[in-house]
Amino acid sequence: MRARTLFGLSLSLALIFSMLLSACATPTAPPATEAPKTEAPATEAPATEPAKTEAPATEPAKTEAAQPEAKKYEIAVVVKLTGIPWFNTMEKGVKRAAEELGVNAYQTGHTTDDPAQQAKVIEDLIAKGVDALCVVPNDAKSLEPVFKKAKDKGIIIITHESPDQVGNDYDLELIDNKKFGEHNLDMLVKFMGDSGEFAVYVGSLTVPAHNMWADAALAYAKEKYPNLKQVGDRYPVSEKVDDARKQTLDLIKAYPDLKGILAFGSQGPIGAAQALQEKGLADKIAVVGTVLPSQALPYLKDGSLKHGTLWNPADAGYGMVWLAKYLLDGNKVTDGMDVAGLGKATLKDRVLVIDAALDITKENAESLGF
Amino acid sequence: MRRLWKYQETYVALVIVLLSCAITLLNPNFLTLENLFDLLKSYTFLGILSIGVLFVLISGGIDISFTAVATVAVYTTMYVTLQHGGNIATVLLMSAAIGAGLGLINAVIIHFFNIPSIITTIATLNVYYGLLTVFSGGTWLYNMPEWFRRFAETNVISLVNPDGVPYGLSVIPLIWFAVILAAWVILHYTMLGRGIYALGGNLASAQRTGFNILALHLFVYSFMGLLAGIAGVVEVMLAQRVATNSMVGKELDVIAAVVLGGASLTGGVGTLWGTLLGVALVGIIGNGLTLMRISSYWYNVFIGLVIIVSVGVSAYRRKLQRRRKMSVEVE
Repeated sequence: MRARTLFGLSLSLALIFSMLLSACATPTAPPATEAPKTEAPATEAPATEPAKTEAPATEPAKTEAAQPEAKKYEIAVVVKLTGIPWFNTMEKGVKRAAEELGVNAYQTGHTTDDPAQQAKVIEDLIAKGVDALCVVPNDAKSLEPVFKKAKDKGIIIITHESPDQVGNDYDLELIDNKKFGEHNLDMLVKFMGDSGEFAVYVGSLTVPAHNMWADAALAYAKEKYPNLKQVGDRYPVSEKVDDARKQTLDLIKAYPDLKGILAFGSQGPIGAAQALQEKGLADKIAVVGTVLPSQALPYLKDGSLKHGTLWNPADAGYGMVWLAKYLLDGNKVTDGMDVAGLGKATLKDRVLVIDAALDITKENAESLGF
Repeated sequence: MRRLWKYQETYVALVIVLLSCAITLLNPNFLTLENLFDLLKSYTFLGILSIGVLFVLISGGIDISFTAVATVAVYTTMYVTLQHGGNIATVLLMSAAIGAGLGLINAVIIHFFNIPSIITTIATLNVYYGLLTVFSGGTWLYNMPEWFRRFAETNVISLVNPDGVPYGLSVIPLIWFAVILAAWVILHYTMLGRGIYALGGNLASAQRTGFNILALHLFVYSFMGLLAGIAGVVEVMLAQRVATNSMVGKELDVIAAVVLGGASLTGGVGTLWGTLLGVALVGIIGNGLTLMRISSYWYNVFIGLVIIVSVGVSAYRRKLQRRRKMSVEVE
């Protein structure tokens, strides 16, 4: 993050480099997630029937066989960045949805968490002509122009982790962001006590969800725990273990009385815990935040990480694709509807919220399976 | 003494001293052995890579692919190690060997097809990283072996700070020190080192002087690859997991640190001393901003300004000098 400005030094270099890289990294139409599974249309038949009205009923035998191939919706899921465990798990949900719902759903994205690259990936998908886009935005604002383009082409847009998004159809949340932020702070208080200094990490200062949780947690802290004191501003280090580790080592020296770290972003708590473990400070400073259970397990066990929170990314992937298909089929979204079998959702200003937050402790981390 | 002001290294050193004074005034915790030890450990990764980049830049080339080389080398190594076991020596050797091999491929393409090194290595970055993505499926490796974890936590010097918290010099920077020593010997005491400077200064002259250009190319790029392989292991030691995407994207940070330290992108110029200063400056800025309790929102602005100041002054002096020389010629 911070060193990114160093790039200015070799600006011309950077230009050539990024141009070539992005040219190579444009999503090469993922292999149409495994040809039509025959059992999928069969089990789904009743639900999808209304959408397939144009199929002439005169020669049922022939069209039946050809239908799944021709009528399959193409639903692209664009994640913040590819190749990290969080989104690998999400992809599992997307693949499951593709199979079970009989749609051509696949996950793609850029290899970096650069908002501009994400917009480019989406533009390519629009040009390719997908039916729906499910997006986990790096930066809500920078996607507005491409979303408008997609809307003009009649593409359905579902977002995740971006409740204030402009230009989408619906945003799906698997947690109530405000409650989630407050819950995390409660957990931090549980382990550090209700007074003292604490620091807040986020993935970057533009990631919508992380900052929303931080906003909620900080507002809640002000109101309920007046003796808690946040040091510095929020630190944008939670996407990389070594950034979070370095930041934690620096903070220990800058604020010798630091008692807690609240880290939003899956690598932040790990980096912080790693630093505390190295320094032997696990008993003095409590780390709480969003983590992947399998990666967090050793740190939960040795106590350098006190408590983890999250939701299941596979459910998010499945839910987004489900919602996209639901809309493509011409259905209406209503308050209190059941989404993808994940639970009842509340609808407010195009944001669908299902409360499916998980608490991750050393007891259950192993059994969660992701 | 006057000669010193001709080198960018001098200005970088000056900026480091001024910055260190400022940070220490605001937070005396900066100038402690503990902070120094922590910084050395955190910047070993950048430090090792920067030496490889220095060699390539001096030789008149550039390498962009080293982060991918590091990732492929350490991923393969740890994957094999997790299945078949090993020890710290086999891990370092294997990763270094894979890195050197991939670097050798770069060298062969650059030398025999005569493709500019920047194009070649951008291409190989994508090939190496792409293949890794295909074969790993983006899966990260967790649960590093117990002996690996223990080695990473080893301290060679152990002390206790005034608050009673133990700290120490990790074994990890020793790897960096060893690399520095090797690089210093090669650059200053061998014909190979002279050859690398000659190659970057002027290829045709180097050839006519009798240097074996092929051998020099092979050495420079495989040395870069070898160091990348070692740096990859260091990164995993610090993070205790192998990630597929944690290193790729940091190429320009490393190159910037080396250029900051006075190496020229056009070749033939660069010192080990300067590269160490470049890395030190990058490390001190990041560390110092937090220690000075500056708001994280200002980090990028500050980093940019420090770079402009440290590179700008020496560049401006060079410009003045050139003007002075020109006027002499006219008279």
